[in-house]
Amino acid sequence: MTVIESFKMAIDAITANKMRSFLTMLGIIIGIAAVIAILAIGNGATTRITGTFNDLGATTISLSVSNKAGNDAQLTAADLQAIKQADTRVTAISPNYTLAGFAATNNQDEQAIVFGGTPDLQYTNTVMDSTITAGRYFTQAEYDDAAPVAVISVDGAAQLFPNQHSAVGQMITLRSRTTSISVRIIGETQSTVSKYQGAVRRSSFPVYVAIPYATMKLLSINAGGITDVTMKVRSRNDITSVSQSTVRLLETRHDVVGQHLYTARNYLAALDQVDSVLGLFVNFIAAVAAIALIVGGIGVMNIMLVSVTERTREIGTRKALGATTRDILIQFLLEAVILSLIGGLIGLTLGIVLAEVVAGWLGITAHITWQAVILVLLFASAVGVFFGLYPARKAAKLNPIEALRYE
Amino acid sequence: MSLITMQHVVKTYVMGDERLEVLKDVNLTVNPGEFVAIMGPSGSGKSTMMNIMGLLDTFNSGLYTLRDTDVTHLTDNERAHVRNREIGFVFQSFNLMPRMSLLENVALPMVYAGVGRRERQERAAAALTQVGLGDRLDHQPNEISGGQMQRVAIARAIVNRPAVIMADEPTGNLDSKTSVEIVRIFQQLNAAGTTVVMVTHEPDIAQYAKRIISFRDGVIQTDETLKQPQKAGADQ
Repeated sequence: MTVIESFKMAIDAITANKMRSFLTMLGIIIGIAAVIAILAIGNGATTRITGTFNDLGATTISLSVSNKAGNDAQLTAADLQAIKQADTRVTAISPNYTLAGFAATNNQDEQAIVFGGTPDLQYTNTVMDSTITAGRYFTQAEYDDAAPVAVISVDGAAQLFPNQHSAVGQMITLRSRTTSISVRIIGETQSTVSKYQGAVRRSSFPVYVAIPYATMKLLSINAGGITDVTMKVRSRNDITSVSQSTVRLLETRHDVVGQHLYTARNYLAALDQVDSVLGLFVNFIAAVAAIALIVGGIGVMNIMLVSVTERTREIGTRKALGATTRDILIQFLLEAVILSLIGGLIGLTLGIVLAEVVAGWLGITAHITWQAVILVLLFASAVGVFFGLYPARKAAKLNPIEALRYE
Repeated sequence: MSLITMQHVVKTYVMGDERLEVLKDVNLTVNPGEFVAIMGPSGSGKSTMMNIMGLLDTFNSGLYTLRDTDVTHLTDNERAHVRNREIGFVFQSFNLMPRMSLLENVALPMVYAGVGRRERQERAAAALTQVGLGDRLDHQPNEISGGQMQRVAIARAIVNRPAVIMADEPTGNLDSKTSVEIVRIFQQLNAAGTTVVMVTHEPDIAQYAKRIISFRDGVIQTDETLKQPQKAGADQ
């Protein structure tokens, strides 16, 4: 007997009892839908969260100087230049001085967070995005000259100049506790925080402003020596080795080898932890879904056993007409597999719809990979084979005489 | 050369501590072209004999030769193949597949024989025409009468051109008029050269065969050839 014949017989048997077949499939449908939806949403959430982390500094190293360090050990602008020149994997390096103050125009006065750094601050600052939406960032020359220029976050600009299309070219006053300076806005950037929490009212965030480090010294008496430095490396894999070599370089330059005055911190550990928590979550739900599939498989086995009993005489007749043990085995096994596979396909469709709906609610993108689709369909077939084998063997082994006599 | 040769066939069932000897040293020869009726009360061994001849059942000792081939020691698969090609079964309760058309029912043995789809349909249609149902190929079994169902079963039995038709109480579920119609088909097939072995407990049905073998307590009690079998004419 050919596979096509067996296939046709299996389809006939399944369609003969449509309601029963559907109810049998239900377990598989629910299991597969759950697996697909969870994989898709889990992938989407992982992408989203690691994406957020990358924005916040997956390739960022923070350098700090111990307060035990003497004057000779303080960081200088020359140190930063040396670090960047020593290693091509370092893409940006800047002091990371942050001041909480106010930004004001003639009409508006808003809380402001002011960052001071080199032109590389554009890339090392994790709050203000490196995307320039208007104007430009400050240059090395403006940094060297302590020029009174500033770059402002785009929603900060909207707060300070609510009626203007762009804040570029406008003057604002930056105010610290001790003094104030007047700066000209030369550019606007996206801000990471507003990008991710666009739903929240804008005015509840402070205005973000970036200015040259030398200009910061005019605003804050504390901004003397460089104590905190942020640097960017090309990829996550560079973080550990660049951290070590940078600390060694600084110790050599300041002749303080072995005194542990410089510390390089990164977010790798935190990132790994998020990865593993997410992985744990996805695995847990997947295990629950797998249990649903096994229950579905038991449903298939149950109904196949009923079917074998119901069709005992049919099996006896087929054997009398020349069906071999193998013919009967394949017929019933194929029936179980097709039942599971149809359930799998329905579940797949349902799971994709479910994933899209839930992802829509969560505001993430569901990721359905073709590997997941193939995996799930293979799994459904495997459930069919595993739970169909026992009933099929039972059918195939029936004694033809007893089967023919069965009422 | 004989078609069926059975020598010293013994069949014993063991039920708990009891040994039940159903066939005790049975010798039987059926020649091509014969129409044999096997009779006997229940428990006489006639059904067991039928099952063994039809290769549905095995036996404990003895020899069975079918069409010059020793079929005494065959595997399950080999016996399935011999059943498929050499034996056409007709059952008391027809045993048609309820969800298949008459054509598909008749074509079923050819599915297991590996015959191609087109040839299956042609031969199944021819066999149904031969039993007078050529105009109902696409009907379902539940749309036709018992007598017609048994005709379909006969068409299914002959479609693989077997060496012998084995009919187990083929008229057991039919009224007497329909029974005669069925027996007439067997006579027609037999006249055309098909060997028929039919188990029945109805003496008047057995009268239509050419030879009547009676079983009692696991042995052949009588074996007589009828000089003038009853003719199931069209007028009856």
